[in-house]
Amino acid sequence: MLSLLIILPIIGIFFILVIPEYKTSLIKQVALLTSIFTFVFSLFLWIFFDNSSSKFQYIEHFDWMSLFNIHFFLGVDGISLFFIILSTFLVFICILNSWTSIKKYLKKYYICFLLMNSFLIIVFSVLDVVIFYIFFESILIPMFLVIGVWGSRTRKLKAAYQFFLYTLIGSLFMLLAIFYMFFETGTTDFQILNTLVFSEKEELILWLAFFVSFSVKVPMVPVHIWLPEAHVEAPTSGSVILAGILLKMGTYGLLRFSLSLFPYASIYFTPLVYTLSIIAVIYTSLTTLRQIDLKKIIAYSSVAHMAFVTIGIFTFNLYGVQGSLLIMLSHGFISSALFLCVGVLYDRHHTRLIKYYSGLTQVMPLYSFFFVFFSMANLGFPGTSSFAGEFLTLVGSFHSNTVVTFLASTGMILGACYSLWLCNRVLFGPLTVNYITQYTDINSRELAVLTPLLFCTLWMGIYPEIFLEPMHLSVSNLLQKI
Amino acid sequence: MNFLFVNNDWISILPELFLVICVNIILVYSVIYCTSSLFDFPLLVNNVSWLSIQILIIVFFLNINNYCCNVIIFNNSIIIDSFGILIKSFVLVSAICILLMSLKYNRFELINNFEFSILIMLTILGSLLLISSYDLVTMYLAIELQSFCSYILSALKRNSEFSTEAGLKYFILGAFSSGFLLFGCSLIYGFTGATNYEQLALLLVGVDHSYINNNGIIIGTVFIIISFLFKFSAAPFHLWAPDIYEGSPTIVTAFFAIVPKIGLLVFFLRLFFDSLYTLFIPWQAILLIASVSSMIVGSLGAIWQIKLKRLLAFSAIGHVGYMLIALCCCSIESIYALIFYSIIYIMMSISSFSLLLMIRKNENLKKIKYIEDLTIVAKTNPFIGVCFAITFFSIAGIPPLAGFFSKMFLFFSAISQSAYFLSIVGILTSVISCFYYLRIVQVAYFEQQSSWITLKKVDKEISVLISTITLMLIIFFVHPNFLIIFIHNSILDLCI
Repeated sequence: MLSLLIILPIIGIFFILVIPEYKTSLIKQVALLTSIFTFVFSLFLWIFFDNSSSKFQYIEHFDWMSLFNIHFFLGVDGISLFFIILSTFLVFICILNSWTSIKKYLKKYYICFLLMNSFLIIVFSVLDVVIFYIFFESILIPMFLVIGVWGSRTRKLKAAYQFFLYTLIGSLFMLLAIFYMFFETGTTDFQILNTLVFSEKEELILWLAFFVSFSVKVPMVPVHIWLPEAHVEAPTSGSVILAGILLKMGTYGLLRFSLSLFPYASIYFTPLVYTLSIIAVIYTSLTTLRQIDLKKIIAYSSVAHMAFVTIGIFTFNLYGVQGSLLIMLSHGFISSALFLCVGVLYDRHHTRLIKYYSGLTQVMPLYSFFFVFFSMANLGFPGTSSFAGEFLTLVGSFHSNTVVTFLASTGMILGACYSLWLCNRVLFGPLTVNYITQYTDINSRELAVLTPLLFCTLWMGIYPEIFLEPMHLSVSNLLQKI
Repeated sequence: MNFLFVNNDWISILPELFLVICVNIILVYSVIYCTSSLFDFPLLVNNVSWLSIQILIIVFFLNINNYCCNVIIFNNSIIIDSFGILIKSFVLVSAICILLMSLKYNRFELINNFEFSILIMLTILGSLLLISSYDLVTMYLAIELQSFCSYILSALKRNSEFSTEAGLKYFILGAFSSGFLLFGCSLIYGFTGATNYEQLALLLVGVDHSYINNNGIIIGTVFIIISFLFKFSAAPFHLWAPDIYEGSPTIVTAFFAIVPKIGLLVFFLRLFFDSLYTLFIPWQAILLIASVSSMIVGSLGAIWQIKLKRLLAFSAIGHVGYMLIALCCCSIESIYALIFYSIIYIMMSISSFSLLLMIRKNENLKKIKYIEDLTIVAKTNPFIGVCFAITFFSIAGIPPLAGFFSKMFLFFSAISQSAYFLSIVGILTSVISCFYYLRIVQVAYFEQQSSWITLKKVDKEISVLISTITLMLIIFFVHPNFLIIFIHNSILDLCI
């Protein structure tokens, strides 16, 4: 089932490859259809998922590099299930969103997105460390091209390079660590590695090597510079994918690999992670306040939210970890929706600077509704998905460290500050007629893009149990090892 | 009756023998034919190139069907084993690719010397003999055959001062390094009285490198290594490489980047892993320094280059550094990684050089020279653009393309020998080198062109070649076992 899910977008790519470049609408339709199929198909994973088992499900096994004992081992458990669905969902949203805004290299654009879809499914479902690394890294190529080719300004070059090189330099250390593990144990199968114990010194070094790679991807604070750049310069869909799912690869990696392979080192380095996360929460929230670019605000706020996630993961209790999983999912919906909202403005007026926008409620009521809703969701308003996640995370961290909880909670207040102030500046006040004279509200396509996200956010906020139930046993199984 | 060719020795080197005879026949044929006034002094470039391609194909088949495996012939001076056969077949295939590329190149660049393909074949002959040599004297003679033809090849464009300069430079420096090599060989001979690898190995079994009487052998070893590093264009001895790469005709540059290096690698493996292995502490240190410095020079030197050929020259130096990592580690895994790396490297070099060779502007039929010229390629010839991007992503070592796997095995062998310093330097330099490989993609795709230049239509042979290699680079991921087991079997032969 999983291999079929992986192959589906690739079949779509083959179809797109044979369509001539000038048949633009056909290319778009094929891409959209492929992504819809993939999304619907991935929903079946959830439907047939056995909640009463903590084991990996839908296991598939292919011979890949048998001489080196590296096999293509696929499987899904409660932790990775929702990431797969999230990635197929967001790719579908992205393809629908870029219906009119992309003009050049149309074919390659859709190929890049479908390729990313396939790679993401592999990253979240593969149970072999080497293959995980390979696809963790492979996503750089399509994303680099998306930022560089379809980005908006000349600064995109810097952004694309930063994105590429930061991630590469981090993850190559993970590669060395993987080789070391392989050399010591003779296997790269995650489930076998999970049963083995490294010596304490080894664990510390290996954990650090993994952490460098994942923290660049999350991003943790000292290495977060690439994120605002990449977000600002990428096209809207690129930002959506980047914020919605690529950042989650880092936290997923922390949760899946660092925590369960190196439990001793994870506990040993918890203060480090807490410190970095707290700095991230407070520092980036304060930085957000003084940004003038709409996309940069959302980019910095996602750094703060991802810091919540890392706090939650390193609480090592059920509340914290499940809460962080919920934040990851909800951040996947909310930040994507906010980027889409910014994209709506950018498509119309080709600027993202706040000073050109004011009083949009008077002319774009429907848009304002969505913007306010997602801003509220972003600050963790009760009834929206991020409230459920942040609440659980804070409860979890209260168990392990009250100071951290206190400091992290200030992040929520600061989050409220920048979100509300942003709404205030963009949506309310007098209408600026000096710069922009024509306003149009969102059209039906944009409504179709934003509504499912709104629905998901509300659903997760009101009834999070349906998301927590499949992940419950897997998470408790993971925590038992620590 | 004891007919000469019934002798097993001659049958075992049938491929080389066939090549020698054919080269002579073609030389005679073309000299007579092109000076004949009866046929109006025909230009034989295309004709001879095609003939050479056919000959090399036949040699290739003779080589892979060589039934004498694991024999040492001609008074213990030549060895035929499955490892050598594997490497030889790769050398031959890459030579065929080079000749295919040269067909149109020679026409456009007005190289009307039929000697080109003959010289290429003679170099290949040198490489083949070098790969199977098992004696210091044979080795030296084979290396000289290979290098002499290379000197002439680099000066092939007689009316270009760059090419002449390159040829002269290469000749003087190469002769110098050959002197070193010969001196090292004679030192070793003087102190041991043996030139045969096997005898050397037997003599040196259990010898401690700190033992005082071995100084002569160690100095000889060092001389041989220096000469090897020079010919391999590793870093402290790399200064000739960018100039000669730039000055030589591009087709010759492509040839230099690919073929002679493989032969040298095998020579090194045979000499140092078979016979001088007990002395590995002194030579390992030298290789370590050479490896680190060539990785650093290769990656930092290429950043500022604006000419594509110089960039590729520096990238070749960097790749040599990676190969030296494997030589430093001297284990079975590292030999494995080395062979794997060189095979993938050959593929990527053929692809990149043929891309370089085939893009010509329509107005003046000139090649593109600067990286900036690539701006136009992705817009007017999207398929070439895609091939460019994939090839350079692969050279940069980004998964899931084949280039990543070559680096992966290399670093794995380094880690398994606890060479952490080397692997960390390797990783950092590979990130730096990513920067300039990405720049090619960036120039091709991200930048707006200022003027529209139309490019010439690409000819069929090269486009088939490039598309095949690009496809191989992409789909290598799907079934890597094929090549892995293929190499593994032949490596086992070398190691046992």
